[in-house]
Parts: sequence; structure tokens; C-alpha cells
Amino acid sequence: MYEFTQLGWLKHVIFHPVEGYDDLRWKKKGSMKIAMVIVLLLFIAMVVKRQLTGFQFNDSYVKIFNIVPLFVQSIVYFFTWVIANWALCTLFNGEGTIKRICIYSAYALTPYVVGTFLSVFVSNFIVRDEIVWMNVIYYVGLGWSVVLMIQAIRTVHQYSFPKTLLSIVFTLLAMLVILFLLVLLISLFQQVYVFIASIYTELTYRFRG
Amino acid sequence: MVSRMKNNIKNIISVGLALSMAAVIATTAYASEPYVSYNYDAWGDAIPSQSGYRVDETITGYEMELNKLADPKSNLFINEEEPTNLSNASDIFYEESTNEFWIADSGNNRILRTDSDLKVIGCYKGVSNSKTAVDEQTGLSTFSNPTGVYVSIDSKMKKPILYIADNKNARVVKAEIESKTDAKCLHEYTKPDSELYSNSSETFNPSKILADSSGILYVVVSSVTTGAVVFDETGEFTGFYGANRVEQTAAVIRQAIWRKFASNEQIASMARNVPVEYANFDIDSEGFIYTVTEAANASTDAVKKLNPAGENIWNTATGNEFTFGDLPEAASVDTSSFTSRLTDIVVGADGIINILDYETGRIFQYTQDNDLLFIFGSKNSTSDQRGTFTAPNGIESVGKKIYVIDGKKNDITIFIETTFGKYVHEAAALYEKGLYEQAIDPWNEVIKRDGGYALAYYGLGKAYLNTGDYEKAMENFKVSVSKGSYDRAYEYERDDFLRGNFTVIIVTLIIIIIAIIVLRKLIKKGKIKMPKIKKKPQKEGK
Repeated sequence: MYEFTQLGWLKHVIFHPVEGYDDLRWKKKGSMKIAMVIVLLLFIAMVVKRQLTGFQFNDSYVKIFNIVPLFVQSIVYFFTWVIANWALCTLFNGEGTIKRICIYSAYALTPYVVGTFLSVFVSNFIVRDEIVWMNVIYYVGLGWSVVLMIQAIRTVHQYSFPKTLLSIVFTLLAMLVILFLLVLLISLFQQVYVFIASIYTELTYRFRG
Repeated sequence: MVSRMKNNIKNIISVGLALSMAAVIATTAYASEPYVSYNYDAWGDAIPSQSGYRVDETITGYEMELNKLADPKSNLFINEEEPTNLSNASDIFYEESTNEFWIADSGNNRILRTDSDLKVIGCYKGVSNSKTAVDEQTGLSTFSNPTGVYVSIDSKMKKPILYIADNKNARVVKAEIESKTDAKCLHEYTKPDSELYSNSSETFNPSKILADSSGILYVVVSSVTTGAVVFDETGEFTGFYGANRVEQTAAVIRQAIWRKFASNEQIASMARNVPVEYANFDIDSEGFIYTVTEAANASTDAVKKLNPAGENIWNTATGNEFTFGDLPEAASVDTSSFTSRLTDIVVGADGIINILDYETGRIFQYTQDNDLLFIFGSKNSTSDQRGTFTAPNGIESVGKKIYVIDGKKNDITIFIETTFGKYVHEAAALYEKGLYEQAIDPWNEVIKRDGGYALAYYGLGKAYLNTGDYEKAMENFKVSVSKGSYDRAYEYERDDFLRGNFTVIIVTLIIIIIAIIVLRKLIKKGKIKMPKIKKKPQKEGK
């Protein structure tokens, strides 16, 4: 059937939303390296969008730059998505392995990443009356990615379309649960850390005194 | 990284310089203002700023020479027990043509008349020719808690006409000045008989008054929520003027929804939503009336500019965005207070609006475009520091000076414009007139003194936009974070660029297109081979 390079496969998947993933699955292709690069680019795109959008369109609070929220919103969200989807779908007859879910989801993000970069680029050359160009590029990228993501999940688990949508909704809920538990865990560990640190401080005072 | 290093070095040098400067300054006498000067930036954050005003003097009864009133040898002698201090003074008014101040000394039930240096030149305990509240000894109709005073020059008689809001006697007195201690009542405005009035209020206790050039009297009555009470030149009640709107709080909206379903009996038992009355007003030289609402953190109709028909001319898309007083989310640099209660307003020269906040003792100065010029003044925290307020009741602006009258400290604080303030006012006035280019020099002077003063950069941007120097305009708009104006400057700049380089752009485009077509044809014919990517066969082999 098809013979592509790994990048060629990425291109094939993006431009063939209907059967692209099926081909990818059939041929057992898809590179983890490329997937990770895409996730990294997603993170960079978020930073670029915040920092380099044309001045007249940039509503972000530029006085402080905090990278942590951007990191969470891109990389952490992505891996939470992968883990939540895998955890959920293995229980519901999904055929995807965690590696495949990761690769397929990352591939689906490509149009969004490209759209973000392009819209940021365009925003530096247009005035406010032409804002529609920027928005069109951004939202086309976003919509395309959503379509690809649905296809990716459908293919990787070999689900029917309604089941895919349902699994996506539940994945989002599962993400919330995971993130909630993570925050809880972090704050608990922080308390433990503070406890130990205060004991340490107290001991040092005692020994010194 | 290099630039960061440079910045670090710069920082170290500047800190070192600042320290050595501080050491030099510390040896000289240095008086700072008793308040923190700040301004708001484009994000609504409070940022430190230079003072536009400094405290010049504080005037008490002693400096006003009020002892003359109790001194039998003086020509102002009234009575030996006449208080020689202010008490709960609630209003100060400046009459331009005679260059005199009028002070409503409410606690002592008298109206004081002073010259421009606030030395007393007259005192009115009451008026003759009236039958209300007559004092048996003097035969005068005395005042009781006069809270408002207004003076206008009668165009026919060329004489000052005195209006006094005689709060507890439930009347407004219109009087003609006879001598330094005597005034003759011309008319008494009392509670209107009209049903229109009694529908909205049972009582008539005027607090502030104002008369326009044609002799129409506007009275703020604190129990009336339908606007100022208006009397025409003959003294007839004609109606209400410029009511506030009801603030759209969650409770108000909830009630409005409930009203749709409630029965008539239920509606009757519901509390009525009435607007908050305004506390004070001022009239400018063009006859516009500015009102200020004293409710804590009022957002709807906090400050209005009313035309003679009583319509708020700031009730427009831009006007509704105007903010007055402290922003709730970033109340102050010293994070001490979060409420604003705007109690008095005065419009000075060039249409500059000064608003007095009773809660924080701050004075907010705005241009007609709602650009915040300065915030100055403060309530006293622990000590009775000079130049701070306890109960700031009234504000008046005369030339370079701002007068604030305090009802508890019983003094008048005079603020005088600093050099920085002078430049800002000069530039703002030129800007307001549309003379953007002429404002460049004063704006530059402003920036020399306070590099964080965003309005200056905005003014410069406007000037450069006008002269066609779009690049400089963009630079300045960027600093002042005015995105709309930046956008306009950028549009012109881009148009200029496209127009100037039209041929170059078109020629390059055509060359590129031709090159692509030619290359494609050549590749198809096999005359040029595409360079092959080496990795291709390797990956395929996997």
C-alpha cells in the first residue's frame, strides 16, 4: 500500500483525516520521537502566542512572565490526557496501547500547533480591522486538530463514532480527577516537607543552643 | 544572555548611584509629602508616581483671624463669645470675580467670607428680613447647620447674591449682602407644596446648592433620590434634575426577575429599588453640572456630567467605561484601603475635574477624557500629621491651588501644584485643545521627572501621529500601552511602507512566481534533479 518516511506518515495522517490513522495503524507506523517533538512544539507555541503576538492583539499581562501555567496547559495536560484515556479505554475494550495513544494524539495536535504559529506570525502584520485573518487561521487549526483527535481515538481503540465521543467526554472527566488528585498529593507532600523542615530547624536550634 | 548581563550591571550601577544619592540627600533637609503618590497603569495596577501637588499650608481659625469676630475693637466684632475656630465646616466656595472664599461653618451656624488668603472679611450668622427662626436679641433670622453655600454675581445689580442651604431650618436662603456682617433675605426656598415633591420626600433638608447663570437654583436634598430639586428664578419649584440610575447589583436583578412572577400584594411588600442620591455637584463655566455620588464604591453614575436638560453626556460607549476613584482590585500602593466614597467634586480651569474621596482622603484629578492625572492627599493614620485629613468635607480649586476643608480637624489644607504638576497641566491643556505638537516639550519635561507616567507617552504618541512620524508614535503608544492608538499608527506606517515600496514588492513577487514556474518546468523535464534526502532509504528499510 503506502510507503512513507516517518515525516511522510505524519503528513499522510494530517491530510487524510478519514483513513489516515487506519493506514498508520495497519502499517504499525508512527514515531515516538516525532510525537515528543510535537508536544514540545505545542509548549513552545503557547509561549510564543503569549509573548510574540502583535502588540495590538496581545492582552496578556506582560509585566510578569510565568512559564509554569503554560507548561501545565501544554505538556502536563497532554500527558494527563494520554494517561486518562489509556486508563479509561483499557477498561472499555479499547485496543490502544499507551504508546500508540501518545503518538496518535500528538500527531493530531499538529494542525493546532501550526495554526498557532501562523496566527502569531500573521498578527504582527495586520491591523485590528483584519483580525479575522488571524482568527480564521487559529480556529481552522483548532478545528482540524479536534477532528483528527476524534479520529485518533476512534482508530487507536477501534471504537464506533458515538463510543469515541463518549470516551472523550469521560477522558476529560478522568483528567479532572487525575489533576485534582495530583494537586492534593502535591499539597500533602508539601505539608510533610514543611513538617520535616520545621523539625530539622528545631533540632538545629537545640543543638546550637 | 548578554543583554541580561548588561542589565544586571546596569542595575548594580544604578542601585549604587541611588544609594550614594540617598546619602547626599539624607544630609540635606528633606520634606516628603504625608502621602504616597501613585497612579494607575494600563492593567489597573497602582504604581508609584511623582506628586502633582504638595501641601502648601494648613489654615486654622487662628490663621483666618477668626478672633476678630470676638474682639470688640475689630470692625468684624459680633459677640464676645463668638467661636474663634471652625467647627464641622462642610463647604467651601470660591467666587471668582470678587476673589473671595465663602465657607459654610456648619457647627458654628455661620457663613464666613474671606479674602483670597483666607483672612476673614465677613461673617453672617443669619439674615434680616425673614420670619424664620428669628433670634430675639439680634432680630436676625439665624442659620441652623448651614451645609452649603453658593455665591453668584447678579447680572443686573452687579452685586454678589448669597445662597445658603440652611439644613435644619429646612430652607434655602437667597440673600443680598448689605455689610460685612449683615445680609438681607431676598427669597426663602422652602419645601415645595407640589404633589410631585411630596411623592418623593416628606422632608426638605437641603445639603448642597448651586445656581446657574440664569438664576435657576439646584438643591441636593439627601432624602430625595430623584435628582436635585430645581427652583426657577422666581422661586417656583419646577421639578427634579438628573437623577441617578439604580446600580445593577445581583440583588436588584434578582428582584426584577421576581417581580415578573409575584402577585400585586407580594410586589407591594418588596423593598423598592431606588437609586442613590448624589452627594454634591459643581457647575463649570459652560454650564455643565458635574455630580458625584457618595455611596461606597458606587460604580453606576459615580460621577456624571449633566447638560442643562439633565442628561448625562458621559452616558456613551466611552463614557460608561470611565472610572473614578480608587480601583477596587488595586486600591493603593500601601494596601490600606479598598473603599471609595466620593464626597465632593470641583471643576477647575481647563475643565480639570477634582474629586474628593471622603473615605481615604484622596483627591483624584482627571481630565475631561477621564485620564487620571494625579492622586494626592490622605487621611491621617495615627498622628495628626499636617496635610492629612480626618473628615474632608469640601474641595475647591483656584488656579494652581486646591483647597480642602476638614470638618473634624477644623482646618483648610492648601495644596499647591509642583513643577511636575505644572508640566502635566500645561501638556494636558494643550492636548485637550488638540495642540498635540505644542504639547511635546511639556510632555518630555514630564517624562524627565517621572518615566512611568503613561499619559505623557500617550500624548507624545498622539503628537507624532499627527506629524506623520508613525514609527515614533508606535514606540510611544507601546510604552503607554494604548493598543487602539498603536493600531492606528501601525496602519498608517504599513500603508506608508507599502506605498513607498510598491514597485519593489511587486517586482520581487513577479520574479519569485516566474522562478517557481520555470523551476517546475525544468524539474518536470528532468533538467534539474531534486536533491534527494539521504535518510529516506534508511527509514524505509526499517
